[in-house]
Amino acid sequence: MSVTHDEVRKIAQLAELDVSDDALPLLAEQMSRILEYVAQINAVPASEAVKPFVPGPDAVRFRPDEVKPAPLAFGPAELAPAFRDGFFLVPKLGQFEQEEG
Amino acid sequence: MSDPSDALASAKAAADRIVKLKRLNACLTPIKELRKSLVVQASTAHPSGVLYGMPVAVKDNICTLEFTTSCGSKILEGYRSPYEATAVAKLKAAGALIAGKTNCDEFGMGSSTEHSAYGRSFHPFDKTRVPGGSSGGSAALVAAGAVPAALGSETGGSVRQPASLCGVVGIKPTYGRVSRYGLVAFASSLDQIGPFTKDVRDSATLLEAMSGVDPRDSTSVPLPVPHYAAQLNGNIKGLKLGLPKEYMIGGLDPEVNAAVQAAVEKLQSLGAEVVEISLPHTDYAVATYYIIATAEASANLARFDGIRYGARVEGNDPTALYGNTRGAGFGAEVKRRIILGTYVLSSGYYDAYYLRAQKVRTLIRQDFLKAFEHVDAIVTPTTPTAAFKIGEKSDDPLQMYLSDIFTISCNLAGICGLSLPCGFTANPKLPIGLQLLGKPFGEQTILKLAHAYEQCTGWHKEKPALK
Repeated sequence: MSVTHDEVRKIAQLAELDVSDDALPLLAEQMSRILEYVAQINAVPASEAVKPFVPGPDAVRFRPDEVKPAPLAFGPAELAPAFRDGFFLVPKLGQFEQEEG
Repeated sequence: MSDPSDALASAKAAADRIVKLKRLNACLTPIKELRKSLVVQASTAHPSGVLYGMPVAVKDNICTLEFTTSCGSKILEGYRSPYEATAVAKLKAAGALIAGKTNCDEFGMGSSTEHSAYGRSFHPFDKTRVPGGSSGGSAALVAAGAVPAALGSETGGSVRQPASLCGVVGIKPTYGRVSRYGLVAFASSLDQIGPFTKDVRDSATLLEAMSGVDPRDSTSVPLPVPHYAAQLNGNIKGLKLGLPKEYMIGGLDPEVNAAVQAAVEKLQSLGAEVVEISLPHTDYAVATYYIIATAEASANLARFDGIRYGARVEGNDPTALYGNTRGAGFGAEVKRRIILGTYVLSSGYYDAYYLRAQKVRTLIRQDFLKAFEHVDAIVTPTTPTAAFKIGEKSDDPLQMYLSDIFTISCNLAGICGLSLPCGFTANPKLPIGLQLLGKPFGEQTILKLAHAYEQCTGWHKEKPALK
């Protein structure tokens, strides 16, 4: 299984990861080797009847849908890189601005 | 210990030892901050608790109120959690003192503690070698005697593997035994918190204190918690042990093999019966793991976006901000796994990789459940070799992944396992670990076996000379 530089770049974009062009050759080579290795699972005879295993309790327990105070020592204002008047600040959505303009 | 002055003395002594062992780069908490916090904690700890005054270091991907939680990553540098992990809260309720945060591979992704943004940790007895990982800082501090106990976390062996390499006891509890609330998620269907200690009794005590259902973690299981330590009586007569033939592989170091065989004979001499078993899908465990774990990681780590918490690198629009922040904040191994996980989940590859891996995971679990119809526990080496050299595998991710070959199946199957010392290599003198795997919620059995073995061997007390 060989992965091209372009494929790695595209996957990195999907994962919202900025990866430099310099890093692409090594990443592509390592990814190809790893994917070649993990592809061996296709040799396992696993019929359609085999259900994917989900660990944990057999039945997921739901909590009552109640509004409770958050058990936090402090709030998001102290955690967020940029926060004002109860909102997380992000850059403007350039594309929408252009459309409006 | 029940006197506050004893707790204070214990806290101060732990801080002094951590300072002396600074060369290990195992503790990430600045020493001034650690000393100050330990003094406060000692004065407010619960004197009636079974862990009163015991300093417990905590892996840096487990949230604490006392110290920052960086997960060994630049993206969470200086991050202070507004809540603490349930496991930590339970240890504190039992009187433990949180003795700083320990170095680890970034977000638990690694087997050597070389992939930390805060520098690698070193093996406590050989500075040219790794302590294992990803909980290498925790294992190194316990092995070097800086703290009597530490917490680590496991996704594919990150407690048992460093425990083996450093010569201490490490437990991976059954999935659902210990709450994951406050453990920064790597792969949610695999992650568990586990203790490191010098001996089995202390591990049993810590595990009991940490275990139990938690309303904040819906995957924790509402089963009663046994009194693990109280039942360690040395009697293992009649217990049946399985020796899986698939674990006797070509890459197994002869000295590791010999030590494990000797340990098996010792367990037999104590009254355990040993039979050969088969776990036929063992060969596929590493491949299965690196599909499922990376897929889950790619989703879990999407939360680090530079918006809500953590570091931020500005961009002209939100997409550029995400990419810049994550590109600068994550290290190479984390990026590699996120990209791999995104790939196996992407359209056209999902069925061939992710869905297939989920099915193979079921087969791996079925192998164990079938084996446990005939045996009470399974015995194997923890790792194929003793501690490897710094840099030996860091440039070859696949070789690094394969060093977890004996520990990964336990996480995929959701069962419990532990590692305890069973010998040393000759030259250099490095610890060798014995792995005991137990049925789901069968921690009591493997603790009993480990304790009985430990009582008639001295490996856990032996310290190699520092190199």
